[in-house]
Amino acid sequence: MKTFEEKWTAWVDDELTGDELVAFEASLPDKTTAQAEKKAAHQLRSLLQRELHAPTMANEEFFSHQLRERMARDEEAEVTRSGGDPSPWWTIGRLLWTGAASLALFLVCAVLVLRDKNPEEQSQYLTEILTAKVDPVGAPDATVSMFESKGDRVTVLWTEGLKSLPSDYAAK
Amino acid sequence: MQRRVLVFSACLVLAAASPSSMHGEDGLVDHLIHAFMPAHRKSSAKASASHAGEIVWSGLVMAENTENPEPAPAELIEIEPTLKGLFGYNQFVVIGQSRKTLRTGQEDWLASSKHFALHVDAQGPSEGGYIVNLKLVQRDNTEPPAEQLILETATKLSKRSPLVIKGPQIGGGQLLLVLVVQ
Repeated sequence: MKTFEEKWTAWVDDELTGDELVAFEASLPDKTTAQAEKKAAHQLRSLLQRELHAPTMANEEFFSHQLRERMARDEEAEVTRSGGDPSPWWTIGRLLWTGAASLALFLVCAVLVLRDKNPEEQSQYLTEILTAKVDPVGAPDATVSMFESKGDRVTVLWTEGLKSLPSDYAAK
Repeated sequence: MQRRVLVFSACLVLAAASPSSMHGEDGLVDHLIHAFMPAHRKSSAKASASHAGEIVWSGLVMAENTENPEPAPAELIEIEPTLKGLFGYNQFVVIGQSRKTLRTGQEDWLASSKHFALHVDAQGPSEGGYIVNLKLVQRDNTEPPAEQLILETATKLSKRSPLVIKGPQIGGGQLLLVLVVQ
């Protein structure tokens, strides 16, 4: 069911036909005035069609290129303003992998350094026999060995085969 | 950038909070840093040099078994159980001794008895102690008196670790050479 305004617009545009046209024109209170308005509308349409028309572009490819560049610049500025890193390298995944790799490298270095250092620290507290020899003439079969008593950290140089002496050699 | 700083800070905190650093010893970071720095070696040498002024007791000790053993001298009290266990004697008598205070760590001295002399020649401080050359010389009652080198050794002597050398058998006992940094 069309409203009166819809039927009026269709009538001005000459789109009403048949019984619908007859019924609408019969419903008009003042057909003469309506016809005058219709004629004025047609004249206005003709004037507008004649006087107003879109200007044609002389270089539309260049215009499109400029437009695309402008849009790209605007998008980039928007990302920077929102705090995003333009470089995609430090993503969360890569950050985690880098952290794990750094920690692993740190632990490997720590283990290597501490393992290398511990023997030195232990040797600081124990007497160490560097060289030892017995008189090869007086005791040709003598041997030396060395060991440590762990309990009180006594370092012992043990000789075997030295020449035995009489008890008067124990004099003070 | 903030994330990088955060990761680096976390690693530093982790390392600094290692248990060793909490107990007042060098932390993990110290180990890692100092392991590659010459200054670390210098500090070790400085620590050794700080031992100057310590006393080295050198003794010629006769170990014997008797029915009524005399108490061990003060210098041997701490290691007497070890000496008894190692050598099987119950009495330790000092027949010659020397107590030397180290100033430069390069002194030499002598501990002697009637028939033995222990030459001690310190070669300077080393890491945690002193390098010493020892010579045990036997003196015989001959005309003219003769000296015979019995034993020679080079040792890195540590403050916390006495040195015991088993010498020749004498009668029913055993001669021992003992060096203790006091």
